[in-house]
Amino acid sequence: MKRFASLLALAMIALTANAKDQLHLYNWNNYIAPETVKRFEEQCKCEVVQTYYSDNEELLAKLAAGAKGYDVLVPTSNAVQALIKGGQLKPIDKSQLPNLKNIDPAYLNTAFDPDNKYSVPYAMSLTVIGYNDQKIKELGLPTDTWAVVFDPKYVEKIKGRVTVLDSSSELFAAALKYLGYSANDVDEAHWKQAVDLIKKAKPYWAAFNASSYIKELTVGNIWLVHGYSNDIFQANLDAQAAGRPFHILHGLPKEGAVLAVDNMVIHKDAPRPDLAHKFMNFMLEGRNSAELTNLIGSGNPNKEAIKYIKPEILKNPAIFPDKTMMLKLEQLKELTSAQRRLRNRMWTEIKAGR
Amino acid sequence: MRRRSPALWAAALAGYAFLYIPLVIVVVYSFNDSRLNAEWVGFTFDWYRKLFHNEEMLSAAGNSLLIALVASAVSTALGTMAGVAMYRYRAKLLAVLVLTPIAIPEILMGVSLLIFFVMLNLRLGLASVALAHIAFCIGFVAIVVRARLAGMDESLTEAARDCGATPWQAFRYVTLPLIMPGVIAGALMAFTLSIDDFVITFFTAGAGTVTLPLQIYSMIKIAVTPEVNAVSTLLMLLTLALIVVATRLTPSLFRN
Repeated sequence: MKRFASLLALAMIALTANAKDQLHLYNWNNYIAPETVKRFEEQCKCEVVQTYYSDNEELLAKLAAGAKGYDVLVPTSNAVQALIKGGQLKPIDKSQLPNLKNIDPAYLNTAFDPDNKYSVPYAMSLTVIGYNDQKIKELGLPTDTWAVVFDPKYVEKIKGRVTVLDSSSELFAAALKYLGYSANDVDEAHWKQAVDLIKKAKPYWAAFNASSYIKELTVGNIWLVHGYSNDIFQANLDAQAAGRPFHILHGLPKEGAVLAVDNMVIHKDAPRPDLAHKFMNFMLEGRNSAELTNLIGSGNPNKEAIKYIKPEILKNPAIFPDKTMMLKLEQLKELTSAQRRLRNRMWTEIKAGR
Repeated sequence: MRRRSPALWAAALAGYAFLYIPLVIVVVYSFNDSRLNAEWVGFTFDWYRKLFHNEEMLSAAGNSLLIALVASAVSTALGTMAGVAMYRYRAKLLAVLVLTPIAIPEILMGVSLLIFFVMLNLRLGLASVALAHIAFCIGFVAIVVRARLAGMDESLTEAARDCGATPWQAFRYVTLPLIMPGVIAGALMAFTLSIDDFVITFFTAGAGTVTLPLQIYSMIKIAVTPEVNAVSTLLMLLTLALIVVATRLTPSLFRN
C-alpha cells in the first residue's frame, strides 16, 4: 500500500509541476495558426497551453459548474452575453490593448457587450449555402437564395443531396430570413410559418447534419448544404487536395444570413490576467489575426489584417461581405426561457414528423 | 465434437463480424493515403510518421496512459479490498456505497465531481481526472473480485489460519493468489474504462489537461484525419498486448 501511495504522490507531483509561465487558452479546435502560437510564445517567453471545446454550450456548462484555470476563452457573442450575466468574466483593461483600434468599429459596442467591457472580436463566420459547382450548375439551380434549400420547386431536383445544420437556432434563422423576417424574430405566428416551411422541405433533405457535412461535400455525396462559411472553405480545400473534378463554393443568400462573431474574453479566475491581455493585444495585430483567416477561411473584423490576407479569400463575399450585405446579416440573440421551451417543442415536432 | 447447425455458425459469425469489422476498418484506413479518409486511395505509413511528430496528440495519449495506469493501479488495490470486505462481512451498506458509482449516470457523476473539486479548491488537472477515474473504477474491480471470491473454497483460508498463518499471511499467500485472475480482470477493466472515458473526464479535466478522447472529440467538427485511426490502432495494439500479458500471468483467467 505504501508503494502505491508514494507512486500516486509522485504521479501527482509530476502532473502539477510546471515552472514556465503559462497562458491557458480555452479555444475551438484548429482556431489559431500554429505559427502564431509559436511567435507569441517567443515574444512573451511563456507557453501557450490550449484546451478545446466544440460547442459554446460545452464551455458554458463547464464554467457554470465552477471549472477554472483558464485565462482566455473564445466564445460566440451570445455566449459572451450569457457569461457576462453569469458573472464569469473579468473586465478587460483597454489601456493594455492599444491594438484594439485595428478592429472595424462595426463590430464594436454591440448589444451583446455594450462598450466592449469584457470582450474583443476575434474572428467570425457566416451561415450560408455551400454547393458543388459542377452538379448545381448542371441542374441550373440558384445559389443566392434560401429558396434552394426551402422551396420544393428547387430542392426536389436535388432530393437526398441536401443537408441542413442540426441546430434549431440556425435552421429557424434561415427559414425566418427566407420568409422575410428577422433571424431574431420571436413572434409565435412567424415561427409557425417557419415550421411549416421546414416541414414541407424536410422530405427532400438527406439529413440534419452539423458535423460530417464537410466530408460529404468533399466526397460528392452531398451537393448543397446549409452550413458555416469556414466549413465550406475547408471542404473546398479538401476537395482540391484530393483532386476532385469539382469545387465547393459559397452561396450568399440575398435574403440575409446569420453572422457569428467569436470574441476573446478573460475568465474571472484567470491565473494570469497579465498574459491574457498580452495575448489579446497580440491577436489584435493585423498579421497575427490574418494568419487565422488564411488558415481556415474565417471572416476577420480586423482592418489591419486585410493586407495580409490571401486575395482569393478577401474577394469571397461569403467571407468578407460587402456593405449592403452587412446590413442583412444578423447575430443570433439568446432566447428567454419561455421562448426556448416553445422553440424546443417546435423543433421536436419538426424532427419527429415523418 | 458434435456438428453444430449451420444457422448457429452463421449467427456466431455475424455476431463477431459486427463486433470486429468496424475495428478492422479503423486499422486498415490508418494506412490510407488520403487526408479525407473517405475512400481507399493508397497505402502509406505517413499518418504514423505525422502522429509521432504531433505533440498535441502525443501528449494527449501520454496523459491518457498515465491517468489510466494510476487509476487502474489505485482502483485495483482499493477495489480488491472492497470486494473482499463485501464478500467476507456481507456488509449491505458497503455494497451499496461501492456499487452506486457504477449505476449513476456518468454525466451526473462528472458534474458532481467537478462541483466537489471546486468546493475543495482542488486544482483541476491530471490529478483531478485520475481521482475521478479511481472513483468510478473501484466499483467495477470490487464486483469482479467479489464474484471470484464467491467461487472460492473458504475452507482454504481457514486451513491456513489453523496452521498458524496471521490474517495478513492467509490473505497474502492463500486468498490473493486464488483471486488473482479476478484482480487482474478488474485491473484490465479499470484500465480500459479509464482510457476511453469521455464524459467524466470532460468535466473534471482542467485547463491544459487533454486526454485522447477529449482530443479526438474536439477534432470531429473540423475533420478527423487518419492520424486518429493511427493512434486508435496503436491503442488497440496496446490493449491486445495487455490482454496477452494478463493471460500469460494468469493462465486461468480465460479458462475455467
